[in-house]
Formats: sequence, structure tokens, C-alpha cells
Amino acid sequence: MRHLSDQELMRIVQAGDFSPASEIYDRYSGRIYNFALRFLKNAEAAEDATQEVFVKMMKHANQFQGDAKLSTWLFSITANWCRDYLRKADNKAKETEDVLVTLPAPSDQSPDRTLEQRENEALIKRALQALTPEQREAILLSRYQGLSYAEIAQISGCSEGAVKTRVFRAMETLKKALVVDLRGGDRCLNALP
Amino acid sequence: MSECTAMRESMPMLLTESLGSAQREAAHLHIESCAACSDEWSGLRETWRLLDELPRVEVPSRVKDRFLAEIGTPSPVVVPFKRRPAAKWLAQAAAVAIIAGGSYFVGHRNTTPTVIPTRTAVLRGPEVTSIQPAAYSIAETRTLNSKTLSPNIEGRPNIDNVQFVDADASDGQISLGFDITQHVTVTGAPSDKSMVRLLSYVMQNEDRVSPSRSRAIDWVRDNYAKSGNADPEIAQALAKVLRSEQHEGVRIKAADTLNTLAPSGRVSSELTRDALIDALKSDPNPAVRLKAVEALARMASTGQELDSEAIDMLRQKASQDDENLYVRVKAAEALSTLSKIRPQ
Repeated sequence: MRHLSDQELMRIVQAGDFSPASEIYDRYSGRIYNFALRFLKNAEAAEDATQEVFVKMMKHANQFQGDAKLSTWLFSITANWCRDYLRKADNKAKETEDVLVTLPAPSDQSPDRTLEQRENEALIKRALQALTPEQREAILLSRYQGLSYAEIAQISGCSEGAVKTRVFRAMETLKKALVVDLRGGDRCLNALP
Repeated sequence: MSECTAMRESMPMLLTESLGSAQREAAHLHIESCAACSDEWSGLRETWRLLDELPRVEVPSRVKDRFLAEIGTPSPVVVPFKRRPAAKWLAQAAAVAIIAGGSYFVGHRNTTPTVIPTRTAVLRGPEVTSIQPAAYSIAETRTLNSKTLSPNIEGRPNIDNVQFVDADASDGQISLGFDITQHVTVTGAPSDKSMVRLLSYVMQNEDRVSPSRSRAIDWVRDNYAKSGNADPEIAQALAKVLRSEQHEGVRIKAADTLNTLAPSGRVSSELTRDALIDALKSDPNPAVRLKAVEALARMASTGQELDSEAIDMLRQKASQDDENLYVRVKAAEALSTLSKIRPQ
């Protein structure tokens, strides 16, 4: 299956054969999970999102158009799921800090550097949560998924101009939170050179 | 909007290198000449870089397991084999005996092979009724006596789910059970009952979704339709797929294939017709309903009996406002064909 393109795998699924499910999951689950995790700041919800996105992909495979990018379609489903999740008032209260637990630092790092990195992670996560959901969606797709504004517009259901504004405003907010004053040396993050 | 404001809004695109070359050059020229924008650019670049410090988190493996289980393709489960201490030495002894027996057999291949049964190599179980039955079964649980078994294990077969049973420690006999995967090729004419039953099984086998299932339906459509002589069991299998299959793509194929089989006089037309009516009545996918209408229309055009229920369903679909337009048109066409064949 590995040598087949996304489109070829989806054609097999569309014919009613679910055998490419594992391969498609392996290709995209990491990106989907990390997007949901950063968007929702809730590991449990991110797991549910990942599972349900792939189930939906299989069940509604016929809605996938062969000339489209599978990643764009998957992120559309994911973003919808995450937006629905946040819309439910109950879920907002469940946002937790548990996702601050991340991979262990490489062993060749000094304890100071490890601590610094953990503090930076926490700051970045808090800064991302300070954004509006629309801004957060746009910056996550742009910065971490490398999607173009056109793709983000398709996923978010808005114009490219709106994406541009959302990313710009998100960056301004993040800059204020992460890099207070580059010239004055008073910085939130001590990872700066 | 001032030049600086427009420039700053474009800076994220500069970061992602998604500006055209002319715009990029103009932006850099402006940044070099404007201290405020230069500061803004430095800050944004730093922010962009810092965001990279958020590590990527691995997806817990349980998510994949849950996903595959939900769509009906569970991950292969490896069952760890735990030997009972009492059986361990027996197993080792059995292996030694088999190897010894094999060596003996190889060394005496010109003579009549005689395997000296050993107490530890004897498999427990009832007497074998037939080693080579007249009809080979691919779904059989066999119990063999070790005396009837060649001690040579050739072809390195895959042996799974090994179980040691030492039901009676005092009788000096053990049993060794296992699943063995064999690749079986069955050759025969499409009209052979075994082939028909195998194809029907493959088409309906929902436990394991594999390419063979989809290919089997394609093959049936391409081959049985030509012969015009499909076994009723094939039509029954397709009707069952049409009724119970979850994936719409497979249901479409099943309806399409039933359409091609319909003219056969031997096809169980009643069962096929009922399945098609049910699909037309309640399948959520319009493409399946469309195929069902086409198949019913074809049945009617080839002189096969359509009962009043089928005709009522076609009438209902032809006039149903919220039905898919293509389905309505096809239903009307089918009724028109019927009226020509059987004028009221």
C-alpha cells in the first residue's frame, strides 16, 4: 500500500474496500492529532477527534473528490469536529493542562535547557489559547501544517483575505505574548539568542 | 491603508515564503528602509521561530486500534503463547522426537518409511476417520493421530495459536493444537456448485474487508452476466449484500451486478426483486436507489414478473417530490416500459 498515492488509496476505499485504512491513518494521524491537541488543548478530545475524523473519512469516502488533496479534506473534517466541540459549552470547562506533558527531552540536553524548553512550551500553549478559535485554526494550519492560505480558506470556509487577516492578528498577539520587547531585552522566553 | 500597514499584514506570507518574487523583493526593500517595519519583521520572525519549540506529540496507539475496530478491520492481535511448566519439557521432547524421526526417515528413504512412535510424539485424539477425504474441505477442524502424520514438516507453514493439552498426566500422551494457514487454489467452472458457494461466501464475507470482496463482485458481473446462466445462489448473495452491506460503494456494485444478472431465467427473480424494492424504498444513497430502479426496469423489460408491490414502489418514486431527480426519471421510464409490455 505504501507505494500508492493518497488518491489511489481513496479510490480503493471508494470501491468499498477498507484495506487502505491503516496506511491512510499512518500517513495523517500524527498531523491530525497534533492539530486537534493544539486547537483544543485537551488530549482526550484530541484522541476522540482523530478517531472520529478517520471513521468519517472511511464512511463518507465517496464525498472525497479525486482531484482534491486528501490532507485538505481531512483537515476540513478535523476543523469542523474541533469547532463543534468548542461550541458545546460543557467542553470549554474541560480544557486542561494535561497536554503539557510532552515527549521527554533528549538525554544530551542540560537540565537547564530542558527546564527552559518546558517553560517555553507552556508559554506557547498559553499564548495559542489566548487566540480566538478562528485565529488559532489559521495559525495552526499555516505554521504547523504548512498549508497555503487558499487551502486554509477552503478548510475554514472563508476567503483568503480573511485567512490573511486572521494569521496576521494571531501573529501580533503571539508576538506580544512571546517576545515582549526584543530591543529592550525584556523577553518572555529566554530561548532567544 | 498606509504602506506600512499593508506591508505588516503581508509579513506572515513573507514568513511562509508564499509571496511572489516581485512582492517579496518589494517587501524586503521596504523593511530595510523602514525602522518600524524592520522591528516588526524581527519580532514576527522571532515569534515564528519560537513556535517551533512546541514539540510534536505521538498519537497513542489505542486511537488506531479504536479506529480500526470501529470500521471493522481490527488490528491483528498477537496472543502471547504461555507454556505451562508441565508441558514445557513435553514440548521439547516432542520436538526432539520429531527431528529424530525426520532424520531417520531421510536416512531410510529407500526403504518403506516407518516411524517409530514414541510416547511423547503421539498426538492425542480420536482415530482418524479419513486422511484423504473424497471431498476436500477448506473449513475443517481435524484431529489427527501422530502415527498417521509424516514426521517431516516441509514448506515451513505458519503455525499460530499453539495450544498444549495434557488432559491426563498419567497416560503419557499429549495433544498439540494449532492453526495453520494454507493457501488454497480452487479451480472449476463458474457453474460448479463449489465455485458458486465460494464466490457467494467471498462476496458476503463482512468480517474481513479485503480487495478480494470487491473484485469478486466485479468478476461475477463480468462473467456470470455473459453466460446468462448465473446460479440462484449468486443472486441471493448479491441480494444479501444489497440489503445488509454498510458501505454504499459495495451496495452500488451489488445492485449494478444484480441488474446484469436479472435476465437469467435461473436467477431467483423473486428474491432479487424483493432486495431491489427494499433498496429503492429505503437505501439512503440515491446512487443505490438509481441502480435498483434500473435493475427493476430491466427485469420488467425482459418479461420477468413484477408484482404490484414493485409497480407501486416505482409509481411512488416517480411522483415523490423529495426523491432524487434521476431516480424519479428512471422510475417513470420503468413504468413506461411496463405499460408498453403490459398495457392496462
